[in-house]
Amino acid sequence: MLHKLLDNTGVIVIYLDRNGNILLCNKKVWDITGLNGGDIIGKNWLEVLFRDKSSLLKKDMLKAVMDESMKLKREKDFEGIILDKDGNERLISWNLAPVHNDSDQAEGNILIGQDITEAREKACPSKNIDKTFKDILSGIKEYALYLTNPDGLITYFGMGSEAMLGWSKRDIIFKHAGILHYPGASNSGLELILENVRRLGKYETETELLAKTGEVIPVILTVNHFLDSAGKPSGYIFIAKDITERKKMEYQAFQAEKLAALGQLSAGIAHEINNPLLVISGRAELLKDEKDSQKLIKGLNLIDTQAQRIRKLVDGILRFARKTTPAFKEIDLNEVIELVLPLICCNAIPTAGIEIKKEFEKNMPRIKGDPHQLQEVFLNLLINAYQSMPEGGTVSITTSNLQDLYAQVRIRDTGAGIPAHHLKNIFMPFFSTKDYGTGLGLSISHNIIKSHNGSIEVESQVGRGSTFTVKLPFIQKEVPGGL
Amino acid sequence: MAYKVLVVDDEDEVRSLLDDLLNREGYLSQACATGEAAIELLKKEKFDVVLLDIKLSGTSGLEVLKNIRERHKEIPVVMITGFGYDEDLIAKSKQLGCCGYIGKNMPVSQILSTFKHLVKKAREKEHHVR
Repeated sequence: MLHKLLDNTGVIVIYLDRNGNILLCNKKVWDITGLNGGDIIGKNWLEVLFRDKSSLLKKDMLKAVMDESMKLKREKDFEGIILDKDGNERLISWNLAPVHNDSDQAEGNILIGQDITEAREKACPSKNIDKTFKDILSGIKEYALYLTNPDGLITYFGMGSEAMLGWSKRDIIFKHAGILHYPGASNSGLELILENVRRLGKYETETELLAKTGEVIPVILTVNHFLDSAGKPSGYIFIAKDITERKKMEYQAFQAEKLAALGQLSAGIAHEINNPLLVISGRAELLKDEKDSQKLIKGLNLIDTQAQRIRKLVDGILRFARKTTPAFKEIDLNEVIELVLPLICCNAIPTAGIEIKKEFEKNMPRIKGDPHQLQEVFLNLLINAYQSMPEGGTVSITTSNLQDLYAQVRIRDTGAGIPAHHLKNIFMPFFSTKDYGTGLGLSISHNIIKSHNGSIEVESQVGRGSTFTVKLPFIQKEVPGGL
Repeated sequence: MAYKVLVVDDEDEVRSLLDDLLNREGYLSQACATGEAAIELLKKEKFDVVLLDIKLSGTSGLEVLKNIRERHKEIPVVMITGFGYDEDLIAKSKQLGCCGYIGKNMPVSQILSTFKHLVKKAREKEHHVR
């Protein structure tokens, strides 16, 4: 009867002899520890309940608690963590009561324990903080956080990684992080990124990740390494911020600005078409009365050449104005600039004589970039240069190779220059000193160059002219035998 | 006696076309590519009219017009341009003293008739002044 009562109390009840050996216990002890009666009775309570080796210190302390309780004949309350049969930690509130015989000698102890794990979690949220924090993190979809070991194998895949990249933790753990990195990204592969992390400790770059579905996701990726006590990298932490929405908006602004740039060039474009048109109709007029077959052929060839000139220009305009999907390719920067020149060389400032000087680096290594976006940058810079010289002047375009690391393009004009107090604002959106400007040209150019991991800078002197310098990284060769 | 026309245009094909067209129309045409060359030629030779492109490489057409006006008050100058009908350019050209303005986007027959008309008007004005 008493046994039944004890087995159904829901608390742990143990009777210990004065040395702490278990003489009697209820079923709750079996349930929690997973041990059966034979393994429990006669064993020391500390051995049965605190089986892991890490609790040696705890055992000594508990033994002292029991000795003191018997000596002072006083109950003791304490809390302690034990491991259940599944290896989970359970928080138990213990009451240790000494039992003395009639001659007042310590006979043993009654140990009553109550599992308060769940109650404590409810009452005290701070104990839950890890779980809550993890829940919050996993709810963030714009960021992905993953870790790799020094070899690039993914060891943790958390905080939005599953949502952003479509891989489940189970599928990706211990796979190489290279599968998350889009091979066509602007700044090449994972190994180059890690190379920079090893060099700089921390590296931030705009790049593209590859979702499981094959979707390419533009991100700002920050990679840190963490070092072990010997100072060796023991892994990498990756935080990727999804910038798809920002990219979409930037791209719409880019398209709009392209058309605005063409609008500014329209008078110049009309000029470039009117000249060959005049030659075509004029030559046709002259050929009407021409009897000499050789002169006839010569005239027809002239007409054909002029028609081709118009076709080339119209092709250039269409290529420029066309909506294009942003795509990074291996490109020659000199060629990109050459394609812009036919659009600009007939700029809408008819009254001024403007000379273009080109000095192009021969054998320029290739860069990885979007040719349409870069054309937009150089067209903007050239339009600005032209518009700064209403009285005429010289535009110099120089390309050069900076130590095999960067391609540099300098566009220098001899125009009005930019006052110092405007210089700090010129890459800000909607900043314009022109009556007809959108104020987006340079800010878009700045964004484009930034997304190519390059830089754009300006130097200017009022009355002397301005120089814009664009630097874009060359394609670096992958480290042989890399990850 | 045929009118002597100085054609100034920096594009080879346009220059040679205007030269050919004017010669066919009975003018005595001579052509050069730059404003500087035109100013030099005007110092050495006498022309009855100048057909001057506005957008020239080097010194612009409007600068050349200004220069001609300062040195040769009597020579009629007709401006021609690929920019077509541009109010600003027309106003600036008139202000600097041209006697007319032709857009290269006009049909060839109209370019020639406008040119003839402008030359005739300038000639009459000259007679009238005399």
